[in-house]
Amino acid sequence: MSIWPEERVAAADSDLDTVDMTVNVGPQHPATHGVFRMVLTVDGELVVGCEPYIGYLHRGLEKLSENADYRQAMGWWDRTDYLAGMCCEGAYTMAVERLAGIEVPERADYIRVIMMELSRINSHFMFLGAFGADVGSFGTSFVYAWRERERIYDLFEEVAGDRMFPTYFRIGGVTMDLPDNFESRCRWVLGSIKQGLEDMDGLLTGNEVFVERCRGLTPVTPEQAIAWGFTGPMLRATGVPWDIRKAEPYSVYPQIDFEIPVGVQGDVFDRFHVRLAECYQSVRIIEQCLEQMPEGRVLAPKLPKTLRINDGELYMPTEGTKGEYGVYLMAQGGTNPYRAKLRSPSFCNLSALTELVVGSYVADAIIILGSLDIVLGEVDK
Amino acid sequence: MSSEPVIGEPEIAALVRERLPDIPFEASETKTYADLRVAPEHFLALVTGLRDDAELSFDLLRNIVALDMEEAGLEAKYQLYSFPHGHALQITVPAPIPSCELPSLTGLYPAANWHEREAAEMVGLVFTGHPDPRNLLLEEDLRIHPLRKAHPLQKAEILQGIEDGPPGVEV
Repeated sequence: MSIWPEERVAAADSDLDTVDMTVNVGPQHPATHGVFRMVLTVDGELVVGCEPYIGYLHRGLEKLSENADYRQAMGWWDRTDYLAGMCCEGAYTMAVERLAGIEVPERADYIRVIMMELSRINSHFMFLGAFGADVGSFGTSFVYAWRERERIYDLFEEVAGDRMFPTYFRIGGVTMDLPDNFESRCRWVLGSIKQGLEDMDGLLTGNEVFVERCRGLTPVTPEQAIAWGFTGPMLRATGVPWDIRKAEPYSVYPQIDFEIPVGVQGDVFDRFHVRLAECYQSVRIIEQCLEQMPEGRVLAPKLPKTLRINDGELYMPTEGTKGEYGVYLMAQGGTNPYRAKLRSPSFCNLSALTELVVGSYVADAIIILGSLDIVLGEVDK
Repeated sequence: MSSEPVIGEPEIAALVRERLPDIPFEASETKTYADLRVAPEHFLALVTGLRDDAELSFDLLRNIVALDMEEAGLEAKYQLYSFPHGHALQITVPAPIPSCELPSLTGLYPAANWHEREAAEMVGLVFTGHPDPRNLLLEEDLRIHPLRKAHPLQKAEILQGIEDGPPGVEV
């Protein structure tokens, strides 16, 4: 090929046949955020086809749950959305409690909400750090995010004894009460989180290159989002103020004052910004919980040694960190559920990847995938 | 204080009966939503009505659950939500024996695509009219249905090349 631009342009204008190229991304690739594989068909820099492949992390959650005691299965559900283990525990325990008709003490409900919101912040920080790295801030956003995540994990360790998979919730409450200095420790962590959010906001939203890369990239209309089954920040970025904590409230969320941040045009920048704004709301929720939390027991009294549930079924939706995290359970007597099914938000958000990616450039495809904020443990079940 | 969600409306089944009088279904309650049990031949008409009727407008397909009910055959459960009205319900459809065929909802709800692929591989339902009926979570050439009750849970399985039979034949 010629080195002279004019000759190159002339060559491109001629009816030269070009061949589409297939580029394999993943399953072991830093940009896929886990063991996810997509095969891109590219015409030069333009993506003309995308085929996602999932299932590399499939552990048979549903089959295992059907073959385990209601309480034993907790550990498997922890490991679905492994960035926010407490949210998954919350969804599963609330589903079992509702199926069995178990009342939870109010203090336990408040503790759960604090833990779930800390998990949400934790998961969103993971997104902010990794997404910043996808777009090109290299390591800085990662390090900023990890500082706060480490502090939240330290707090989890103090409360529950483990960082990522605490299995802290129990059917009927939580394992043990909070440590004595929890309130002051938690307020210190919240102050640190607020500082971290300011830093992240300054680093990313204040960066013109970042904003230019993200703004206007794959805008999604509310109608498209609903048809594709988007929920959570992906749906709210399109301007639909729908949050299950408000729309179908559970636990103590009705007694707490918070707002639902929404985007305008559903593009990559709005998805980023909705998640950033949600962290501030989560901080607000935790602060109110710390003030309102009553004293009392943290585990329901007179729980049966072996939990047996008679006939019944339910679908219990909760607001996970990525969207609607729903648990379907069917009981037919006995100690195991007859059928357990996870409605995974990442799975549904990811299913529209082809529609989002086709027509963009290869470098943008990576950003679009990052903006979906998938976690493969949840996609693959 | 219980974690009692305020979910759905008990009168939603009555509303559906009023708006779609031609479609027979059995209404019951789950612990959260109303459940409408419909025969496979009326399934597509019911879902189309639920989606398109202005008073109902169930525009979000939340989830599909595929079940193996052993002697009673396979079943599918669909959870729907309506953004304009904020109500939700569940539809239960038994799949006919022995074909296990249900119409695909991908034409009505694009979100059904992956849910149906998962339901097909996991219990062996066959969705007629599905644009891409390949395995999703399992290996592409695997023809087992792990969530059937007859499929054993083993510590480790070497599955390549093992077939449980063609999808949808044995129940």
